Amino acid sequence: MKAIKKLALATACAVATTGAMAEEKVLNVYNWSDYIAEDTLANFEAETGIKVVYDVFDSNDVLEAKLLSGKTGYDVVVPSATFLARQIQAGVFQPLDRSKLPQYENLDAPMMEKLTSHDPDNAYSIPYLWGTTGIGINVGQVTERLGEDMPADSWDLVFNPEIAAKLADCGITMLDAWDEVVPTVLNYLGEDPKSTDTALLNGKVKDTLSAVRPHIRYFHSSQYINDLANGDVCVTVGWSGDILQAMDRADEAENGVEVSYVIPKEGAGLWFDMLAIPKDASHPENAHKFLDFLMRKDVMAGISNYVWYPNAIPGSKEMIDEEITSDPSIYPTPEVEKNLFTFPVYAPKFDRAGSRMWTALKSGK
Amino acid sequence: MSTNKTNKLSWAILLGGFAFLYLPIFILIVYSFNESRLVTVWAGFSTKWYGELFEDEQMMSAVWMSLKIAFLSASAAVALGTLAAIALVRSGAFKGKTLFTGMITAPLVMPEVITGLSLLLLFVTMSQVLGWPEGRGSLTIWIAHTTFNMAYVAVVVSARLRELDRRLEEAAMDLGANKFQVFIYITLPIVAPALLAGWLLAFTLSLDDLVIASFVSGPGSTTLPMVVFSSVRLGVSPKINALATLLVLAVAMAAFIAWWFMRRNELQRQKEIRSAFSQ
Amino acid sequence: MNIAQVFTQTLKQSGKKLVVLLPFSWLLVFFLIPFLIVLQISFSESRIAQPPFTDLTSFVDDVYTISLNLFNYIDLYEYDLYLSGYISSVKIAFTATTLCLLIGYPIAYAIAKLPPHTRNLALMLVILPSWTSFLIRIYAWIGILKQNGLINNALMGLGVIEQPLEILHTPIAVYIGIVYAYLPFMVLPIYTNLVKHDSSLLEAAADLGARPIGSFFKITLPLSVSGIVAGSMLVFIPSVGEFVIPELLGGPDTLMIGKLLWSEFFNARNWPGASAVAVVMLLLLILPITIFQRYQAKDLEEQANEH
Repeated sequence: MKAIKKLALATACAVATTGAMAEEKVLNVYNWSDYIAEDTLANFEAETGIKVVYDVFDSNDVLEAKLLSGKTGYDVVVPSATFLARQIQAGVFQPLDRSKLPQYENLDAPMMEKLTSHDPDNAYSIPYLWGTTGIGINVGQVTERLGEDMPADSWDLVFNPEIAAKLADCGITMLDAWDEVVPTVLNYLGEDPKSTDTALLNGKVKDTLSAVRPHIRYFHSSQYINDLANGDVCVTVGWSGDILQAMDRADEAENGVEVSYVIPKEGAGLWFDMLAIPKDASHPENAHKFLDFLMRKDVMAGISNYVWYPNAIPGSKEMIDEEITSDPSIYPTPEVEKNLFTFPVYAPKFDRAGSRMWTALKSGK
Repeated sequence: MSTNKTNKLSWAILLGGFAFLYLPIFILIVYSFNESRLVTVWAGFSTKWYGELFEDEQMMSAVWMSLKIAFLSASAAVALGTLAAIALVRSGAFKGKTLFTGMITAPLVMPEVITGLSLLLLFVTMSQVLGWPEGRGSLTIWIAHTTFNMAYVAVVVSARLRELDRRLEEAAMDLGANKFQVFIYITLPIVAPALLAGWLLAFTLSLDDLVIASFVSGPGSTTLPMVVFSSVRLGVSPKINALATLLVLAVAMAAFIAWWFMRRNELQRQKEIRSAFSQ
Repeated sequence: MNIAQVFTQTLKQSGKKLVVLLPFSWLLVFFLIPFLIVLQISFSESRIAQPPFTDLTSFVDDVYTISLNLFNYIDLYEYDLYLSGYISSVKIAFTATTLCLLIGYPIAYAIAKLPPHTRNLALMLVILPSWTSFLIRIYAWIGILKQNGLINNALMGLGVIEQPLEILHTPIAVYIGIVYAYLPFMVLPIYTNLVKHDSSLLEAAADLGARPIGSFFKITLPLSVSGIVAGSMLVFIPSVGEFVIPELLGGPDTLMIGKLLWSEFFNARNWPGASAVAVVMLLLLILPITIFQRYQAKDLEEQANEH
């Protein structure tokens, strides 16, 4: 009996203290898989005493479904900017309190300006990492099939049916993300990558994709990393850091596979993954602390060193390995940068048209 | 002569069938001892993946989460499913029995995507209207798994209950046992194998479920299939092969022990029957 | 009647009620209501909001209106990809079920012919693989079937083929996956049926000079129809809505309704549309489900009559 009383007392005390302390020391983070340095969370926990519950997802779609159904339970989420724009419209985020983000000034000002097209006034989000959507190549297999003068720096590699036909047997794959592939094709065709012309979508864009469709082995947004590293596929439309990871893994396995990543000369899409706090987050204070932590130069340098994606903190660049910062496929040179375009945000009607075109295309209908 | 031929044929069929069923499992076991990270290359014998498995916190916590949910949902499903089976077989007619029968069998055949989607929408609506469940997590996964598992348990147990000879129970009652005693001493021991089978089935189904859990999960409730599914990104790690090998080993051992006990009981019973006759 | 008796009587009554009430209300809340919600959402419109669909009911200016929006169903009908999705799902499920039956029946038959104590062991060997993670086993198949996987390496090593066969990401891989995953569901009901057969019938037939093959087709097969139907339905029905197997083993052109529903929900964010797909899929499955239940009921009646 005494023990029970003691327990009750202890619980009452615990409740009282958490009440006084405003927030329990917990933070629920939902991030992409393999998208943070090994020690980042441990450092944050050690510094703040906040316990991080860290879950991972593999696609923007799954994250969005959770956000839209509400009460995800997460305090920090990491959608890509195009998805974020729509989620802001749906009203799922809370505005950031900049007074709680002293490191905010570290952010890259021109980039923040660019991002206002997705997040007006930068009210709801800060950029985490960014990259390009380009082509990963198995150099050996591709050269063997196309000879030395292969168009390794052009989208012809995947969008020209004659060339794609020659590569079909060693495997071409494409991201399963129409909202990135369609602007890329538009850009390849010399059209405005931000075009929302349905006639163009179901006409020229679809024709281009249909022509190479028989040569594409699969559409998937993550499987290609492993397959590229193993030599199971030879050309893949994918995300910069993921392909660099494949490169790394092939090196490590010493299996004779040489992977390279190119930003084609026609230009490529630029994407940003953003940090945001859901409206119904139960630990917004801790979330702000975490966001602030992720704007520190040393922290972001550590993350970039681990995942090989550039970040939005210019001051961190000198702490990042030169191998990464000097690689134009990671940090594009100013000339390449001129050809990069940001992926557009689509209205629901075009959204539906695009995703249907994509489903039909994939199934070969 | 011809029976000999048929025997040979049936052995060939069994061997072929088992080869098909066990080929992937055999591969898993072999490659869990592979030195190389790549699944297709053999680079020498090594047990290092077993060590790495136990050091991988994310995977181990997912394993625990899955085992916990599987254990709890299988147990709840056995309780609810047995009640449902009794209601189906023993309760005679009651209002809404057709609906009840339909609802018991429907989860068996409901495609997972629909079950997952509908439960997610239910939890969303409930938390809006009732404020419960507050968020999604292991509780909501448990509810979802219990729901489809109880259907399986109900089917398994009701089949056994129907086979049960009612005269045994009646005889016991004639001898003065009350309903409760009859249930404990007569009905339960006879239905027990079905309860065990139902529990094991439910445990497995829960352990395997990816689709429904991905719909209704929340923070800190990542289950093993979710980890395995997302590991396709960097290829299936030999750690997962090691985990699968341990699973196979545990299951095989449990199954063999169960079989041995069943066999012993059977022999015992035959002996008793024989001695009863000889007296 | 004394108070104690009244008390136990009520207890018994309420106990009996509880037996029905508890599972009944659980299923009501966690099975029937969710389905009704899906039905309701299938009549709404999608929008950019949280949640991403409109309310069916509105209360404006003291007028309570309920609007049923049939758009999603019309859309489903007009958008031919779904129609071909349903057809191809049924086709794939049917082919896989047939294959499963052709492989599963002989196995069940061979097990039923074994001596009783080995039977249980063999049966356990059939079920045992299902007790290890399904996903991991499917991944093992990827390793076996892929371009530089086990089968291709073995065949090329033996010199049977020169170019690797493309099996993974084709319908063949989906068939292998479904057959592999659902084989126990086919074997078990057939075995349960076969093992009950009275062997004296076959002996009598043999005495009358019937050849084993003849008596198999004339006696055993017709007697085991209910097992075949039960097994086939247990394989067919979930295969129609299968998502994981076509997603992992199938190619982009392996059109299955489970995948379409998934992409309508997640990629197109069209929750009402996805709900409509689900409702139609369930309607499609009502026929096989009723067949399954009818045969089960018949089987149970037969059993009841035996007692």
